[in-house]
Amino acid sequence: MQQMIKVGWLFNNMFNLHGDRGNLLAIRAEGERRGYRVEVEQINLDTETFNPIDFDFLFCPPGEIEHFEAVAAYLEPHRKELMDYIETRPMLVTGTSVGLFGETIKRDDQSTIRGLGIIEVKTRENHVVYGDDLYYSCRYNGKEMDIIGSQIQMLDLDIKEESPFGWLKYGYGNNGETRFEGVISGKGMFTNTLGPVLVCNPWLTEEIINLIEANKHWPVWEEPRDNTLELESLKTKIAHINKKETRLKKLGER
Amino acid sequence: MKFYLALWFAKLMGVAINMISKDRGTNLPGEKALTIDPDFVKHFKNIDYSKVIFITGTNGKSSTTNLVTHILKQNRKKIVSNLEGANLLGGIATILAKEASLSGKLKADYYIFETDERYLPLIYAQLPAQNMLITNLQKDQVQRNGDPDFIIRKLKEVVNPKMTLILNNEEPRSRFFEETACRSIYYGVSHHDESFTKGADYPTHACPKCHHDMSFDYYNVDSIGPFHCDFCGFASKKTPDYLITDLNFYDQSFKLKDVSFHMPYDLPFMFYNYAGSLAVCEAICGIAPEAAAKAFENFKNIGGRFEVLTYKNKTIKYMRIKQENPDTLQSALNIMASDQSEKMVALGLYVVNDFVPHYINTFYAFDCDFKPVVDSNVERYLCFSEHVSYDTANRLIYDGVAKEAITIMDSDNINEIFAEIDKAKTDNIYLITWLSTFEKMKKFIEGGQN
Repeated sequence: MQQMIKVGWLFNNMFNLHGDRGNLLAIRAEGERRGYRVEVEQINLDTETFNPIDFDFLFCPPGEIEHFEAVAAYLEPHRKELMDYIETRPMLVTGTSVGLFGETIKRDDQSTIRGLGIIEVKTRENHVVYGDDLYYSCRYNGKEMDIIGSQIQMLDLDIKEESPFGWLKYGYGNNGETRFEGVISGKGMFTNTLGPVLVCNPWLTEEIINLIEANKHWPVWEEPRDNTLELESLKTKIAHINKKETRLKKLGER
Repeated sequence: MKFYLALWFAKLMGVAINMISKDRGTNLPGEKALTIDPDFVKHFKNIDYSKVIFITGTNGKSSTTNLVTHILKQNRKKIVSNLEGANLLGGIATILAKEASLSGKLKADYYIFETDERYLPLIYAQLPAQNMLITNLQKDQVQRNGDPDFIIRKLKEVVNPKMTLILNNEEPRSRFFEETACRSIYYGVSHHDESFTKGADYPTHACPKCHHDMSFDYYNVDSIGPFHCDFCGFASKKTPDYLITDLNFYDQSFKLKDVSFHMPYDLPFMFYNYAGSLAVCEAICGIAPEAAAKAFENFKNIGGRFEVLTYKNKTIKYMRIKQENPDTLQSALNIMASDQSEKMVALGLYVVNDFVPHYINTFYAFDCDFKPVVDSNVERYLCFSEHVSYDTANRLIYDGVAKEAITIMDSDNINEIFAEIDKAKTDNIYLITWLSTFEKMKKFIEGGQN
């Protein structure tokens, strides 16, 4: 029987802002390249039985803050399970949804939404949106790598004592004032990088699948993916970043 | 006194700009007038706000404004309208200054204004229109708008119980405003030959009433079609007040309230513009569909999104999309896919350069279904445009296109683009890129390279 990777796609319809389904395509493609069957289950407010531990990978895309209270209420009973889950299993949370997994979200109208408190992060909604490229280095599953992407910052992050997921080479990151990008907690990645981050950075996708293989006690796939196209893309994007006009505070001054 | 100074200055400036170029000056006189009198628009005389109609939303504002204005003018109504698409307060100030007498008096049957949804509260503060058509509220220009809720909050600042709203029946976010308005008029489009569905892994969105998932029976345009929420029952009406039926691509015709219309553009995204325009014309301005139908015979849209060029023995079909806007890209893809003859597809998605910082965003392409294009007899793909061509190619690969079938060109060089087009065996070329590159390509052809 074919080995199966089970992926949970959290609130895919409600949280659907930036072509985020690309991440599922990337995970599926890499899993299938290694000969696995990849099953994606969509989790929404009507899902009656959600148990994080049933999944090998969880993905929570960015969403409109308008819906956060409803989602927080749904996930609250699973808070402890999610905290246990990220100790060993990979989870990717992107964009505004990082706030949902944090402690509080302070809205522009000064109201406050209580998050799940899975990571010690406080977020605040920005009055003005900031969109830009995002380029940083990070370490995941023991591998150092560069990540390229874009960021549409609607919430600023104060990560307190948590560890940053990445160290900025260019971009706004958590709040434009530090070199920190996102948060890593256990195997959970909480990042401002939007859209198909796993398409643009297949080296991260490979590490997620490597981790899944290790968790399942399967042999880790030896044959690396051909990432030529994505490396060319990375190169030209870095060239774009290096020549572009920016009003960001210089990294050296942060 | 400030108002008069501002008005006369704007009028003079408008005349001066018009002498230099008739295409310019749609914003500047109004902007300058607003610096002299910040409440400039508020101070015009004789405007009956029940005759003012705002046309706002993500897509279709300009076309709907153009069509409403055309129908009303053809029916001998005196209209003041910002047809040139200058849809901020400055643009509206410019047109009011141009149309007003030297004492600031206006005389028109109706005022039809395309209004930028983001700046609507600023415009409304000075010009409290009592009628507003909302075309649709979609993901768009995320670098400045973030998400649709950001725009919904802007509209909430304006929509009030004194307003009459003309709402797209098949777009949930727009429809939701019915709860606030005193009167809502609904328009829609029935199923047609180019209606489509998407696979289950293409997300929809949350119900604006209860946060649960919305379902669409099918789409007439991306993200727009008959919808329902199983949890709270929020759903499109089966028979909206103004429903376009019997869409016939072969005869170029459709019906509304049993009246037959000539279809000036057989592009699905235009159908909602037709329906919305007819709703405004009858429900607000008293022009019945029978009278409106004649105007469809000679309607020419300003700044349309579709253009055809002839290059050597090839036909280049250009489709302009809005950056960061999956709905316009999906519409363009659907048009390509509906042509089953052999074709070359040239995709030049590009760096978003509306303001500093310019940034790379092609992620909206993952909201779009490329498979119907992939299955529509494509000889070859060209992905061009500096810094984004690899991402564009990758999007195609994820929908099953072989790497070998794609030429990747990390450049916007016009000669190189045409060299690739020359290599195509087919004479049927589809092109998506930004206006700037297209204009250069047009000049290249006009310059004798044909």
